[in-house]
Amino acid sequence: MKIVKLKKENLFPFLESLSKEADLWAPVQKYENKHSFQLIKDFSQIDLKYTRTILPPKKLFLPPTFNMFLATEQGYEEDFSHVTKKILFGIHPCDIHGLLILDRFFQHVFDDPYYSKARQNTLILGHSCWPDENCMCKSTNTHIIEEGYDLFFSELETAYLVWIGSSEGDDCIRIKPGIFDEDITDEDIQIYIKWHNERDKAFQVDINFIAMPDLMELKYENPLWEKLGDACLACGSCSNVCPTCNCYNVLDKPLLNKYASEIGRCWDACTLESYSEVAGGENFREKRAQRLKLWYTHKLQAYISKYGKPACVGCGRCASTCPVDINVQTVAKALEGKDMDTFWNRLSKEVTK
Amino acid sequence: MKKDKLKIGIYELTGCAGCALLILDCENELVDIFQAADIQSFLMAKSDNIDGELDIALVEGSVSTEKDIEELMDIRKRAEIVVAIGLCSMVGGIQGRFCDEKEWKENFKKVYGDIEMTHTKPVQSKPIDAYIKVDYYLPGCPIGKEQFLNFFTRMLRGNPPERYPQPVCVECKYNENDCLLKKGILCLGPLTSGGCGAICINHNLPCVGCWGPVEGGNWISEYYLLKEKGFDDELIKNKMANFSGTKIAEVSEQLRK
Amino acid sequence: MKKISVEHIARVEGNGGISATIDGNVVTDVKFIINEGARLIERLTVGRTPEEDVSIAPRICAICTLSHKFAAIRAMENALAVEVPRKVHLFRELMHMGEMIESHSLHTFFLALPDYLGFPNAIAMGSKYESEVKLALQMKNFGNHIMKTTSGRYIHGENPVIGGFGKYPSKDELIWIKERAVEFMPSIIKTVDLFCTIDYPDCPEDDTIYACCNPANDKYGFAGDEIIVSTGDKIYRDDYKNLTNEFIVSHSYAKHSRFKEKPYSVGALARINNLGERLEGEAGNMYKKYFNDRWKKNPLLNNAAQALELLYSFERIPQLVDELLQPPEAPEIIRYTAKEGKGTGLVEAPRGLLIHHYEISNGLVSHTDIITPTAQNAEDIERYCYIAAQSLLDSGKEDKIRDRMELIVRAYDPCISCSAHLAEVKKAPEESWKEKIDELKQAESPVFIGVGNTCYSDDGAGINLALELKKAGVKDVWLESELNDNEEIWQNSVNRPLVFLDAVDVKEKPGKICVLPLHHILSNTSLSHKFLPFISGQMNYKQLKNSYVLGIQPESLSKGQKISRPVRDAIEKVLNYMH
Repeated sequence: MKIVKLKKENLFPFLESLSKEADLWAPVQKYENKHSFQLIKDFSQIDLKYTRTILPPKKLFLPPTFNMFLATEQGYEEDFSHVTKKILFGIHPCDIHGLLILDRFFQHVFDDPYYSKARQNTLILGHSCWPDENCMCKSTNTHIIEEGYDLFFSELETAYLVWIGSSEGDDCIRIKPGIFDEDITDEDIQIYIKWHNERDKAFQVDINFIAMPDLMELKYENPLWEKLGDACLACGSCSNVCPTCNCYNVLDKPLLNKYASEIGRCWDACTLESYSEVAGGENFREKRAQRLKLWYTHKLQAYISKYGKPACVGCGRCASTCPVDINVQTVAKALEGKDMDTFWNRLSKEVTK
Repeated sequence: MKKDKLKIGIYELTGCAGCALLILDCENELVDIFQAADIQSFLMAKSDNIDGELDIALVEGSVSTEKDIEELMDIRKRAEIVVAIGLCSMVGGIQGRFCDEKEWKENFKKVYGDIEMTHTKPVQSKPIDAYIKVDYYLPGCPIGKEQFLNFFTRMLRGNPPERYPQPVCVECKYNENDCLLKKGILCLGPLTSGGCGAICINHNLPCVGCWGPVEGGNWISEYYLLKEKGFDDELIKNKMANFSGTKIAEVSEQLRK
Repeated sequence: MKKISVEHIARVEGNGGISATIDGNVVTDVKFIINEGARLIERLTVGRTPEEDVSIAPRICAICTLSHKFAAIRAMENALAVEVPRKVHLFRELMHMGEMIESHSLHTFFLALPDYLGFPNAIAMGSKYESEVKLALQMKNFGNHIMKTTSGRYIHGENPVIGGFGKYPSKDELIWIKERAVEFMPSIIKTVDLFCTIDYPDCPEDDTIYACCNPANDKYGFAGDEIIVSTGDKIYRDDYKNLTNEFIVSHSYAKHSRFKEKPYSVGALARINNLGERLEGEAGNMYKKYFNDRWKKNPLLNNAAQALELLYSFERIPQLVDELLQPPEAPEIIRYTAKEGKGTGLVEAPRGLLIHHYEISNGLVSHTDIITPTAQNAEDIERYCYIAAQSLLDSGKEDKIRDRMELIVRAYDPCISCSAHLAEVKKAPEESWKEKIDELKQAESPVFIGVGNTCYSDDGAGINLALELKKAGVKDVWLESELNDNEEIWQNSVNRPLVFLDAVDVKEKPGKICVLPLHHILSNTSLSHKFLPFISGQMNYKQLKNSYVLGIQPESLSKGQKISRPVRDAIEKVLNYMH
């Protein structure tokens, strides 16, 4: 793997030359301290000081709603209008890990063309980050990244160290070869190591994820789940903001003016009441507690048991989204027997009063 | 052999006429709608209306007069399938909130005094399923264009309509909005039927609940959450009631426990 | 007696009807009926926060939703002392234009035009008038687009709030709206020509009073802080009750209004009558080309006025957008701290003056008063329908009454949801007068007043009948001569129905008895002269609405003759029945 150096002032010119070939997507401040990956028309909008976007990058590969194909009496016509050539710049290691997990779901056994085509058409240009109080990626071991990117930018004081992760990445830097410097000094390396050590110390959350499958098993009938169920607003947001949640629903949208249907697809969430409803109106997981248990079984037990790592990449989106404090951190801590001050804990006291 | 066109009637009971108007607002599809089905009755759009047997009756508005009851009963007799369209016919609408008879009478008197109505007697506003069996519901205040067209076309093809069992939060997140509730703003998204596209939150405004209560909404949790965020008890309960129609009785029952 | 009725007026927004009851040659009753049930919207807002009101109140009506929103916001901002900058006013004006275009294009082309071209609906009309229908759909769609862009959605958008907007349209969206508005101009001019040259029937025609908002700076527009009346009166927003004087009628959940004891009209025609001189540009030229005296008295011309307003709106939009694109940027929502106050908001809904009035105490709405255009128009709708029905009946065109009444009601573009299906012509049963007398006696004790002149044969019937009733010991019977200067009788009669006994020529068989509402007689100049002295200055409108004439068809009115045989029999009949 090759590492090169790029002066900070050369970043935008580099991105500009890249964006002639494809749409550039990067983090933009959407609300105060809340970011979103957006199509960039004006480079000054890019905000690299972000911690996390509201929605994870999965939205670029499988949009929340899109049409898969038009079904007619003769057959079907596939619709790949959501697939465009894209450059995703500024993505953090946790989110790249998230994409690698999605690859496993959508490419390893069966290939989902809607995902794969979008994935193949997107360059991943990662960027280093700094944790806040909700970041858990050090515990999930997703704070560093070794694969899954074309280029990765580690921010130093005046320059970036740029990791080239693929031949496409290598092609990129050849577009403007003069601005990349292959000569990395000892001083640069020292700054990088210092930054790395300091960042390690900045993590505030520590969870032993490897212990979670056992704890989930042991606490499967624990009243904790009822407590969580009582508080859960069943809004589905935890799933929608999770970079590894990938369930979807298929919608049939018949056309009025011809005998054909657009077959659409939208994100679904197992925390929603309608998710486990089957034909005839039966619902396998009518209770919120049952549904939360399913969600956490996936994140903290099943995936770890199978692949040795959690289906959580520690991005902290659930923590910064759930209004009633149900998130991987508070649930894992509760499984560990450490009660945090959460709304769901307070509600439980209020209700039993 | 060409199948006969479905006979459809669109009826308005007491309400703002917004659901019927929304159908007229489908400007690009209106000609197709009138060609694809035999629209037997649609008062807002046409004057040659027929009151005969129907395959599908769409009913907008709440039942608020004795005449509404008569008309509704007649529609039920004539129609194979009755669909409640919009908040008023699903839960009684904003006017359905006075679901306690005494409260309704007092308020009626405050507006109209002791006058005896000669044309049709007023009754407490109720959803249509308080009087007849309803086959399908299409929520909204007013209903949404896309949902209506989807529903209409599915019915034409003999398919049951899509249901809208998800709260506003789902579409809100699709649009990558920042959670207002999390920010301490009184937003009713988690308790409200989605389908609107989370339009208010897209405009930085909290959900007022206008599509009515979502199935399985966790009223108790949101109530305590809002209390904790410092909102006045009365305000929370009022906001929860504004668009819940007669369903607010069930919610109040839950909150009392 | 026969009743002509359109129980459900089609092609109007909401659920209402109009009925005329015909007894032989006379229309005895006209009622604009609103079947729409009572929704108690005003009560629903009491105890709510101003913000809640602003999202509940517009749900009175889907067609005027943004007018309601606009009026509610204006009222609340007046009550809570919120001042918004010019940018916000301009965005609101743009938003309101969207509703005006949507509503006027829907009404003129879809609801009204099929009548003049002889089609049951616009879709059927499309087979022959494809380009008109297409244009109307495009225009309506454009109006909707503006509403959606500014308010958040087609109907009941929540984006306009007290203090501004949740989110402002982008520059690109504004430029698109401007360019599209300019593209429409040639077809809008054709639309004005179309609607101003329709051969509108000349029945009914009668003078009325017009009221609308008076926009600031002597401009044309759809909002203001003052009401301008065609009588020359100007009424400040908080004094709106001086215009409306609302009262409840038993046949409608919409309250009715009267100005100076006279019905008045609001809407596009009222605006063009009161403010048309202020129109500039193409709209000004078209006004000069087409406006004439008929516009002052024929409610059917409302459709022409609406077309003219479409033109005004399409011309105004580019001006608005140009100014909106200038700095400064629109501000964040202006917050307020006031917890007490009262305020009124006036705007022009597409169908006329709309008033919202609120009182806020301790941060919550303590009183709400909403006066809708249709409620204000109800009285004039009834009056014009009466005039049309009677004159069609007089000219032997009874079969046309139903359609004409429907045409009139529709011309007013009533938004029945606001107030509340359409025309009915009823034939009264034989001797329906008995039924009416019973009804009156049951409800309240009526006061009978004999009028006429005994020197002129049957004209003395009323006096004669009164004297006989007195003799028979019937209570509360007076002669017209006793009324003059007798305050006591008037005092005693306050809030009681008055029944005038008189010979009334309804072109029927001599001796025919009928009971007619007094206010209809007053609209009919050939009958009214006799009663005027009694009424002027003495009766309030509620009492007027509750008063009747028991009329007997005279045979002869010759001087010095005795009362004719048939009339004497009629007097006997009434006497026996009442005694």
